[in-house]
Order: sequence, then structure tokens, then C-alpha cells
Amino acid sequence: DDKLLSEPLSHPDFFNVKELFSLKDLFDARVHLGHKKGCRHRFMEPYIFGCRLDQDIIDLDQTMQHLQLALNFTAHIAYRKGIILFISRRRQFCHLVESTARECGEYAHTRYWQGGLLTNAHIQFGSGVRLPDLIIFLSSLNNVFEPHVAIRDAAKMNIPTVGVVDTNCNPCLITYPVPGNDDSPTAMELYCKLFRMAIIRAKDKRRQSEVFDELR
Amino acid sequence: MAGNRMQKIGSVFSRTRNLLRVGVIEKPLWFDVYAAFPPLREPVYRVPRPRYGKVKDVVPPIFYQEDEVRARFYRIYGNGPRPFDLLQSNYKSTCQRFVEKFNELKEEGKIEEEKLFEETGKALLASGIILQRRGTDKVAQQDHQGAETRDSVLHQQLQTVLEEIQEKKKDREEQTLESAETQKENPVPS
Repeated sequence: DDKLLSEPLSHPDFFNVKELFSLKDLFDARVHLGHKKGCRHRFMEPYIFGCRLDQDIIDLDQTMQHLQLALNFTAHIAYRKGIILFISRRRQFCHLVESTARECGEYAHTRYWQGGLLTNAHIQFGSGVRLPDLIIFLSSLNNVFEPHVAIRDAAKMNIPTVGVVDTNCNPCLITYPVPGNDDSPTAMELYCKLFRMAIIRAKDKRRQSEVFDELR
Repeated sequence: MAGNRMQKIGSVFSRTRNLLRVGVIEKPLWFDVYAAFPPLREPVYRVPRPRYGKVKDVVPPIFYQEDEVRARFYRIYGNGPRPFDLLQSNYKSTCQRFVEKFNELKEEGKIEEEKLFEETGKALLASGIILQRRGTDKVAQQDHQGAETRDSVLHQQLQTVLEEIQEKKKDREEQTLESAETQKENPVPS
């Protein structure tokens, strides 16, 4: 059991997430398009390549690195049978996020976030609740363009987060930020596809390794 | 059931590591994975204070050499005759074609710098793209009416282009004749 868990950590890319996407895929899905110069968040400046006629362009080389780390982390968590929660407060993509979560066999929360869902879980859901082991933000802002409360709550409950941060978001508290566009439908479909494939791959590998162990 | 809810102090990892060291918590699922594959920046809370005083823009603007040509094109010809069709990923707008033709003619080098712009306009006209100067449309409409406008303007532009091409041909013929004469004359004194 110990070997099952420690063996994947020795490989730099055990689940081969690098082959799931390429720079051209990111460009075609319009991941590099940011908001206008006035909306820019101060802490997103290192991730921005430049400003073309007042529109920020995100540096896709950095996005590639961050996305690879994020997908790798997600896959490892899924391999260890962790609970993953998808959060996105964009009405346009709420159905997409929910169906992605359903296909992975994981969970999604795309509605109004009540105050104590993570911090007051034992009273709201009853004692003995298992909190998510990873929270994936497909859009880290809520409907009024403020940082989602779940980012702060996850940091409080010591839950690691993966999040797609646009040029107007605060990437400080997110454990594995992925600088990229969160407004275009093509970009959101790409992220959903990548996370879904990473999680499904990890779960299949886990099932395979358990079967091999049993055979021995 | 201990925990550390101080999200503004340290990162998730540092707080969990310290709690583990004390021994009040059991190792969470993600701890080993984070230790093996840490993020590029440790997720420590930073206060988002605005910059005071003279604000230096850290993000560089993106400009290309072709932007000079594009700026001139849009200033003279307005938005261009055809709207952008963004559904095709390899779509080339009128302005992009203009810029490419401009660069081709510049590389050939036979035309002077000041005349390059007009020459590209004429070259595009020859390949079938009508470019209307901004502001001339109203004047033309006052003189002509309805569908005749575009045809008459095109007709005029084609006529001017034809005349210029004919003049150039005559010039070239005269030059070749002169060079032939000078070649005949030169061997004589030697």
C-alpha cells in the first residue's frame, strides 16, 4: 500500500499530463486573451506578456508550466482517492462545470456559496463530514467581480487549491494558479477537458495498480 | 481536531507541516504530493495595496514594425471595405493583405519610399480590392447617385492606373532606345 502511494511521486510526470495540451491548443482556445489595462490586478503583472492596444496578453509559456503543475497535482490527488470540488460562479459555464464533475465522478458547486460551507461544515452537514482534498476554481471571481469566498475558506481549512486566474484576479492565496482566460467558451471547454482527462487517467491507473497488486 | 485558520500567515503547506511536527494532526492526503511537486510560487498572502506616486507601467506594450503601415492604412482608408470574419482562424483582412503587399514592394526596392503607399494601393486595385478614401464618399455621392457611385469611382481609378502604366511603358521604351543609341555611340570614340 505504501509502495502504491510513494511510487508515482518519484516520476516527474507519472500520468504524462504534458501530452494532453500544447501551446498551439492554448492559443487556438484563446487562453492568452486578458482583460483591458484598467482591470489589471497588480499581482498578475508577472504573468502578463504585454499589452496590445490596451488589452493584456497572458504569457503562454508561463501558463504551460503552471498548467502542467496543476494537472499533475490534480492527477496525484485523484490517484490517492481524494475528493475534488469544482467551483465556478459563472452562469454561462455552470452546466459545463457540473457535467464535467459528473463525468469525472467528482463534485461541483456552481451556485450561491453559503458562508459556512467549509468553515462551519460540521454544523451545516452533521459531524463526520469529509471535506474536499482539492478545490479547482474554473473562475476565481464571483458574480460581483470579487474574489470567491471559497479561496479564503480553503486557505483557512488548509485545503490546497488549483485555480484559473484571469488578469483581474488575485492569485496570492491559490496554491497552484494557472494564468489564463476565464471568459471565452473555448478556453473553459479546454480547461474542463484537460481536468477531466487528468482525473480519469489517474483513477484508471489507480484501479490498474490495485489489480496488479492483488494478482501478486 | 486541531487546525490553523490563519490564512494570512504563511502558506497552507507551512501551517500543515508545523501542525504535523507538533503532532496534533494526522498527515493529509495532499501533503506528500505538494512536497514532491511544489508550485512555482509559495501561496503566501500579500496585501493588495495600490501603487502610490508616479505609477510605472511594468507591462510592456506590444507593437510590430507593420503597425506603422496599419496605422496609415486605417487613417486614410477607414475601416476597410470588408468586415473581419473571425470564424476562420486563417482569415486575412484587407489591411493584412495591404501590409504584405507593402512589404513585398519594399523588399523589391524599385519604388521610392514616399510612393510605396500609393503603389500598394494601386497593386491591390489591380488584384480587385477597391479601397475608398475616408471622407471622399460623401462628395462622390453628391455628384452621382445610387449604384453608379462605386462603378464610376472604380472606373476613374482604373483609368488613372491605366494611364500611369501606359506612361511608364513609354518611359521605359524611351530609356531602352536611349541606352541602345549610347551603346552605338560609345564604341566609336574608343
